[in-house]
Amino acid sequence: MKIKDGFILREVAGNFIVVAVGNAVKDFNGVITLNEVGAFLWKKLEGGATEEDLVDALLSEYEVEKDVAEADVKKFVDKLVGAGLVK
Amino acid sequence: MPKYKIADVVFEAKLLYGYTEKLCKSYEYSGDQPCAFTAVMTEEDIQAENNDATQEFPAAYLESLALFRKLLNYALKYSDGIVFHSSAIMVDGNAYLFTAPSGTGKSTHARLWREMLGDKAVMINDDKPIVRWVDGAFYVYGTPWNGKHRLDTNCRAKIKAICKISQAKENTIRRASTAEMLLTVLNQTIRPTEADVMDKLLKMIEKLLTTVDLYCLGCNISREAAELSYKTMSGEEL
Repeated sequence: MKIKDGFILREVAGNFIVVAVGNAVKDFNGVITLNEVGAFLWKKLEGGATEEDLVDALLSEYEVEKDVAEADVKKFVDKLVGAGLVK
Repeated sequence: MPKYKIADVVFEAKLLYGYTEKLCKSYEYSGDQPCAFTAVMTEEDIQAENNDATQEFPAAYLESLALFRKLLNYALKYSDGIVFHSSAIMVDGNAYLFTAPSGTGKSTHARLWREMLGDKAVMINDDKPIVRWVDGAFYVYGTPWNGKHRLDTNCRAKIKAICKISQAKENTIRRASTAEMLLTVLNQTIRPTEADVMDKLLKMIEKLLTTVDLYCLGCNISREAAELSYKTMSGEEL
């Protein structure tokens, strides 16, 4: 799984946002806000992580139970797929 | 070809219709500063502004929007300038920007300030002022794109505060966080599509949010609402 071209994560005054640039603006003209964990997962997805990679990354970075991490990752990925941000 | 000076940017414009020339009349420039750019309007530029599927606008009006876009493109790339959809009002040399989704009442609240403060309050722009970072401070500039009440002054003022308005029965005001204000500002400006220009915009917004005072105002339409927001943001008594 990978973030589509043209969607960029930026930190503005301590807040994480995703905006579209270039051709991606035609498909998405809004702004997405992410919390710190969302931004962490996003960066992993930029590198082409699988859902399992994301769960592993969460488990090694944060103190969280595996089933909670799996549920969080699924929710996050479903949102990105629903918004058409990943390929 | 007419020359204009808007937000301290001098440019000339080759226009196809008379409407924009009339609109920009009070921003005409006859000094000897060189032009930063020439805006040559084409039918293609004009039709690109016709992006509301529910309404047809006259080409002469669309041309004024196309010119505004050209000015903003230049301003963002070369002079740290952005549009900030808001009602900008100046009192004692300080500017206050009221922002909210269309129809919430930012123009109305600015009008309440004018009724309360009289000549002390100067309307800089009631719709699309330009905000620029100049010599270590943020300034708001009047532009001819001034909203349905046609309120603007060809001047600039240092920004003291940005205030997000929502409708409420009771009047309340509090400081806002950068997180609360970030989406508002991003949604009330025109965002570029080029990645490097987008980064310029975001850097500028970051600086804006960490430089000026930020407030959330819940208000009704009353003098009491205007008193509360004025006293709190200016630190002055009436």
